[in-house]
Amino acid sequence: MTIHIVEDDPGVSDALALLLASIGHETATYPDAESFFEVNPPGDRDTVIVDLGLPGLTGIQVIRWVKRLKHQPRVIAISGQSSRAIDRLLDGETADVLLRKPLQEETLLRHL
Amino acid sequence: MSSGPFTMREDHSESLSTDASVSKARLHSVLDTAVDGIVVMDDRARIILYNKACERLFGYSAEEVRGRNVKMLMPEDYARRHDGYVKHYLDTGERRIIGIGREVRARHRDGTEFPIELSVGEAHTPEGRQFIGIMRDIRARKAVEKRLAQAQAQLVNMTRINALDEMGAAIAHELNQPLTAIMLYLQAIKRKTDNINSLDDTFASVIEKTVKEAERASQIIQRMRQFVEKRDPERKPVDVSELLKECLELASLGDASQEIELSLEVEDDLPMLHADPVQIQQVVVNLMRNAMEAVKCASYRAVKVSANKTDTHLVIAVRDSGPGVPPELVPDLFKPFSGSKRRGLGLGLAISKSLAQNHGGDLIVEPGGEQGGAVFNLKLPLLAAGEAQPAERAETI
Ligand SMILES: Nc1ncnc2c1ncn2[C@@H]1O[C@H](COP(=O)(O)OP(=O)(O)O)[C@@H](O)[C@H]1O
Ligand SMILES: [Mg+2]
Repeated sequence: MTIHIVEDDPGVSDALALLLASIGHETATYPDAESFFEVNPPGDRDTVIVDLGLPGLTGIQVIRWVKRLKHQPRVIAISGQSSRAIDRLLDGETADVLLRKPLQEETLLRHL
Repeated sequence: MSSGPFTMREDHSESLSTDASVSKARLHSVLDTAVDGIVVMDDRARIILYNKACERLFGYSAEEVRGRNVKMLMPEDYARRHDGYVKHYLDTGERRIIGIGREVRARHRDGTEFPIELSVGEAHTPEGRQFIGIMRDIRARKAVEKRLAQAQAQLVNMTRINALDEMGAAIAHELNQPLTAIMLYLQAIKRKTDNINSLDDTFASVIEKTVKEAERASQIIQRMRQFVEKRDPERKPVDVSELLKECLELASLGDASQEIELSLEVEDDLPMLHADPVQIQQVVVNLMRNAMEAVKCASYRAVKVSANKTDTHLVIAVRDSGPGVPPELVPDLFKPFSGSKRRGLGLGLAISKSLAQNHGGDLIVEPGGEQGGAVFNLKLPLLAAGEAQPAERAETI
């Protein structure tokens, strides 16, 4: 049961990992989609938290990739963009959960 | 030799002096068919001649004004100084208005003042020096100028408001990241301290308070974001051709347009566009201003606006004969504060793109360069007849 965090902002990524670890989750962080794709694919008991505004390959490509896995983890998309911009980014794709930054601990934990 | 149109007419009538009355009649019919008001006065400012157009312009008949001082056609303040002007010219020969022409105010019989364009010529006749004034009523032109100036002011205002919006959105977005990190860090540390009983009370309460403050900041950001995002386009059916004509008018205001060839080419039978006309106009005028700025130093200065349709979209293109967008600017061209100008915030294109996207469209650049100037394509979706606007997706949170 690992929570994979794909987020390019080091502050957000580190804080998220620290908080989740303090609750007892196992975490792994990736600064971009490319480095996430290099590791073993996550399992269906894992969770992937992905920032939609990644440099290079986008968050939406991460979601598409995850959705094609045989054992699908849960996907939580996070974004600091406006809802309109998020619509454009998602381009018809859906995440299991979509959270807007700034993230609140409560909302986040509810979805884990 | 003296100058002015009157002199020419004098010469002409003299050549016909074999029959003075015929030539005089002809002169009068010429004067009376003129659209502009024409007044001739002697060197003591007395009216000798006053054509039909003047009767319409001032409300006095020719009989009423003949022999009277021309001051009666002027507003108080001009009238008071007129004697002085005439004397000054007769004494010194120094030209202030003769052969120059300028915009002045005139006064109608009923007291209303109105703007005219006045040109004055001088003639030396056997009866002495005479002055001819040709007056064009410019009320209509003034009204158009005023309307345009107002429209432009409104546009400038809109741009400012939108710039603030855009900046607000940019700030909200940038602050979001560190704020998210701060809140998560604090929540993690709070969790840790909750489990330590021996911890100093102040320490725990300071963390508690800090979390509260961070949450407050986050609420401010959220409110700001709601405020900024709410400004949706006010859509209505828009005649593209009319809209673009107005854009050309707006863009050609001011002196920058003087030596630039502006042209418009609109495909026939374009369907009505469903859009916010003010916002679309704002985008097009922004693009035209940029283009006009870009061609300033080019030897051939032209800006062309065109509108065409594809199966799904209307494409408004603004192309110029300038040097193109510098390659180093291209990647961040549509980001705020990207401009290369000392004057100008570099917000124009960022705002334009977000307005286009708010309409479900986009703004795309062909940077040009070697081959020619830049082309900016504004793409806006055309709706099939009867099709409704797609509803905004419900908030996930
Ligand atoms: N038609 C064009 N040709 C060449 N460069 C352009 C053109 N339009 C825009 N640019 C470049 O893009 C920059 C950004 O434009 P804009 O966002 O409107 O901001 P600003 O006009 O305030 O600088 C301009 O400073 C200019 O360098
Ligand atoms: Mg500009």
